Amino acid sequence: MERDHIRERLASAASMPKDVVLGASVITILGRNEVCIENYRGIIEYTDTLIRVQTKSGQVRLTGKRLQIEYYTNDEMKIKGRLVSLEFGEGRKKD
Amino acid sequence: MIRSFLRWLRGYVKIRVEGYSPERFLNLCCFHHILIWELSPAGNAYEMYMSLSGFRKIRPFARKTRTRAVIIEKCGFPFFVKHYRRRKLLFAGIFFCIILLKAYSLFIWDIHFEGNEKWTDETLIEFLASNDITPFMLKSRVDCSGIVKDIRKEYNDIVWVSASVDGSRLKIQIKENEDTFTEETAEDDTPVDLIAGSNGVITGIVTRAGVPQVHVGDEVKAGDLLVSGRIDVLDDSGEVTGYQYQHSDADIYADTEMEYNDSMPLTYQEKIYDGKKRYRFYVNISGWELSAGTVKNRYPHADLTAWERQIKLGENFYLPLSYGYETAESYSFQKKKYTEEEIRQELTGRFEQFCRNLEEKGIQIRENSVKIHMDAASARASGILYLNQKIAEETDTEILTIERKEELK
Repeated sequence: MERDHIRERLASAASMPKDVVLGASVITILGRNEVCIENYRGIIEYTDTLIRVQTKSGQVRLTGKRLQIEYYTNDEMKIKGRLVSLEFGEGRKKD
Repeated sequence: MIRSFLRWLRGYVKIRVEGYSPERFLNLCCFHHILIWELSPAGNAYEMYMSLSGFRKIRPFARKTRTRAVIIEKCGFPFFVKHYRRRKLLFAGIFFCIILLKAYSLFIWDIHFEGNEKWTDETLIEFLASNDITPFMLKSRVDCSGIVKDIRKEYNDIVWVSASVDGSRLKIQIKENEDTFTEETAEDDTPVDLIAGSNGVITGIVTRAGVPQVHVGDEVKAGDLLVSGRIDVLDDSGEVTGYQYQHSDADIYADTEMEYNDSMPLTYQEKIYDGKKRYRFYVNISGWELSAGTVKNRYPHADLTAWERQIKLGENFYLPLSYGYETAESYSFQKKKYTEEEIRQELTGRFEQFCRNLEEKGIQIRENSVKIHMDAASARASGILYLNQKIAEETDTEILTIERKEELK
């Protein structure tokens, strides 16, 4: 935790993009029907009402209706469907 | 669009992944840069599209994650080829088509002109044909700079030409000389006199070359000498020792008179169509004619009309294929009488047209005494037109000019 804190301060001091330095995920929500997630680790669960995605800082939980993953590459995924909520769960705590 | 076409070209499959942990399978695919699209859950399994090359790599992942990948759908070009591989004629056809396309693109199929107004496309095509430049010639035989040179040599008033081969079309751009003024001033050195073309009274003289022989107010008769192209060369004692000749040039205006006579009959025959028609449709393929119907008839009077169109490729590559139809339409005559009003309108219209024609030639109409007379058999418009016109020029164009050449002593 301490290390992350130092990194974050360093990044903001040097005004460097945090998604590169910290590996923070970038989530872009376009209207109610389109979500684009970058910088993630993998899918944990996928049904048409719930998608759970693992990111570096924790889980992202997307609920909605008729959710469909339009494409899925190593660093970006695009989800379409009626979005209801987006929640951040706790990340894996190693320490 | 392009992306989906490329996908199709490389081939892709729709697979269904089911088993112990399909999510892990997805993450593995993702980690190994295998593109997945339109991923959708189907019960306990997932369905997704994957490129063919990606599909070939997933076997170890499937074993590792203890999942089973089943192909549901195969799309794309490689599968298309595999499916139709026994249809040799299809592939022969595609191959033949490519060959034909290549072969046909070796020829010029169309000649396109741009910028020509005075010289029509037809004239230029005829000229090019006389130089063996026609549609359906080999593209490699087209010599663009040669065409440009030929056109410039043949037509003096085309000031700029560019020829280029654009696909299988020969494009010729032309710039014509718009001010033909220089053309008119071309010097003609033959000695010429100007004489009067008609009787009249001179009202104005503008002489540019030659010695005028008349004055304003003079009455001249047709054939009288107006401007002499011969200049006497005198010696000190005033005797003529020789002559100099030149091409006379002058505008000489004179008041002239012209008689106008026009007549028309009081009755006329009107065509009455009785609706009887006969048709013949035909297709003509290089002399061979295929027709339906006939225009042979026993009508006492009939109009025979024909309409034909030749099929062409592009703008001017005519194929020996034409189609059209002929119609015979029966009619009979009925004798009818003009009303006085109609006669007046007709004769006035004709007279006005005559006056317009004169004015277009640059002749002024000062006055006219044309009146319409009617009697039992016919109607007449007659009278005298008082004009002001160039009389010298008229004789010049009528080739009544006299050339005199005398030996110098």
